[in-house]
Amino acid sequence: MLDVQGLRKEYGELVAVRDIYFQLHPGDVFGFIGPNGAGKTTTIKMLATLLEPTAGTATLNGIDIVRHPEEVRPLLGYMPDFFGLYEGITVTEYLEFFAAAYRIPKSQRAAIIENVLELTDLTVKKDAYVETLSRGMQQRLCLAKSLVHDPILLLLDEPASGLDPRARIEIKELIRELGAMGKIVLVSSHILPELADFCNKIGIIEKGELLVWGAVDEIIVQLQASRVLEIRLLGEPEPLIQRLERESHVHGVEARDGSLYVHFAGGLEEQADLLAALIRDGFRIAAFREESLDLEDVFMQITRGEVS
Amino acid sequence: MRALWENPLLQYHLLGATRHRWKRQPWLYWAATLGTGLMYLLALQTAVNYRPGIDAALWFSLFVMCLAAPLMAYNLFSLEYEKQTWESLALTRLTAPEIFWGKWGAALARVAVLTLLLAPFLFLSGVGNWYATTAAFVVLFGWGALLASLGVWLSFKLKRTLTTASALYAGQVFVLLLFPMLYLILGEGTLPRELISTVQSYKDAYYTWIICVFNGALIIYINPFYVALEMEHMRWWADWWWMRGDEYTYRSGLRYMLWGFTQGVLYLGLAALFAGFTYRGVKISWRK
Repeated sequence: MLDVQGLRKEYGELVAVRDIYFQLHPGDVFGFIGPNGAGKTTTIKMLATLLEPTAGTATLNGIDIVRHPEEVRPLLGYMPDFFGLYEGITVTEYLEFFAAAYRIPKSQRAAIIENVLELTDLTVKKDAYVETLSRGMQQRLCLAKSLVHDPILLLLDEPASGLDPRARIEIKELIRELGAMGKIVLVSSHILPELADFCNKIGIIEKGELLVWGAVDEIIVQLQASRVLEIRLLGEPEPLIQRLERESHVHGVEARDGSLYVHFAGGLEEQADLLAALIRDGFRIAAFREESLDLEDVFMQITRGEVS
Repeated sequence: MRALWENPLLQYHLLGATRHRWKRQPWLYWAATLGTGLMYLLALQTAVNYRPGIDAALWFSLFVMCLAAPLMAYNLFSLEYEKQTWESLALTRLTAPEIFWGKWGAALARVAVLTLLLAPFLFLSGVGNWYATTAAFVVLFGWGALLASLGVWLSFKLKRTLTTASALYAGQVFVLLLFPMLYLILGEGTLPRELISTVQSYKDAYYTWIICVFNGALIIYINPFYVALEMEHMRWWADWWWMRGDEYTYRSGLRYMLWGFTQGVLYLGLAALFAGFTYRGVKISWRK
């Protein structure tokens, strides 16, 4: 389990990360969302033990990352947003280098490297020189390198940046698979649709402050204090508008594109009662649905577009 | 010992990258090797035929070392920063001593190989004078180790390959050329030789070394090319009674000052100091 407790990073007057708290469990794929300069990379670097926090700490399986970075490092895999690879060696040699650096016994290295290559779909390139790989393959190799020591926490900083659509889909699949393997995956991005598909938890950071975090569905429900109902009606809309405006839970009605959009403050019970009442009153309703928020709506509602 | 033998970083720097460069650009590397090899053999043949003095042999060797040693160290850390590989390396289980040995050890091993390649020139020139030959060897390796060690440290501190290389070569121009020139200008063009003539015991030598720190003569005395120049005076070790005179006094002064050895040890000491800075830097900056 990753338990982040009040992580804070200051650079002089500038507060890059402001007292962040969140907890992740095995199998969680956590989307760390925020605009450029929001503090995502700084947070990830602190979790990766590369930066010392000004205050606060985090524990991974109970081990303090600030006090015992050397004990935490073997438990985490880190893929930076900008990364390079050692050149002049083959893919297999590159992975052997990191396997040796992680002190994996010689007798086990070949099998582990084979597994990792298979997982990242790089087996066919195992004898290729590192610098001859495409950007997408280099990204996968960097991920493969982060997996050789079987970490429990994966910190992936913008893993899909600069990739073509196919490579993006492949890396998404890979992250999903890693989550299914029981690893804690923290993946940052500022491209929301990228994360919406495979994250079960998200955290939105802006100006160094974690504005909200939790399960995606829960956050959406939290934010839907006023829901929007879309009603498609057969016939003239005016009588229905007048009827809706008399309802106590209705805060406003807009008519556009042949539908009525009703700002509704009630719960599911009140929503069902309203539908029943309208049908009883003789309105011919062809469609009645709640307009749901997606990750982009959530992001737009929460953030103000500021950077720290 | 694990830091030395089972170090993947050391193996990568000494063998990994080099091996594949040969495989990938065989013609280029074979041509370069052949050219360098021929030049080396030609120089060796010249040394065999003309038997230059130990000063000339050491001058030549030092010149090669001054050019080559920075190239053996200048990018060892800076490339990690430029290519953004240092974070991945820092997160492995390699300890600070292992990372340090992986880099510094590689640089030092390269300097050692170059010293061995240049050793025949020194041995050919110093036949029969083991003191001067050994001292020349210590000076050559010490100077190479100092350059390599400084290169590794600058590479770590400056984080830029080109800046490190420039600093190393420019630094040598200052230390080996401009500072001695400044000394000579201020000293009306005379080398600080009288000081050496006054040394007639190890105690004198000890005080002379201390004095030369304050009167500026150290700038000249620690210049490896000047060390080589004076080395020629130690060609003849015999001190028969009929040889006694000014030249004898001067030679014994050099001998009491442990000429060559003192400078070599000083270079090695400075190399160790920069190595210590690098090790400390890795330990602190990389949180190792």
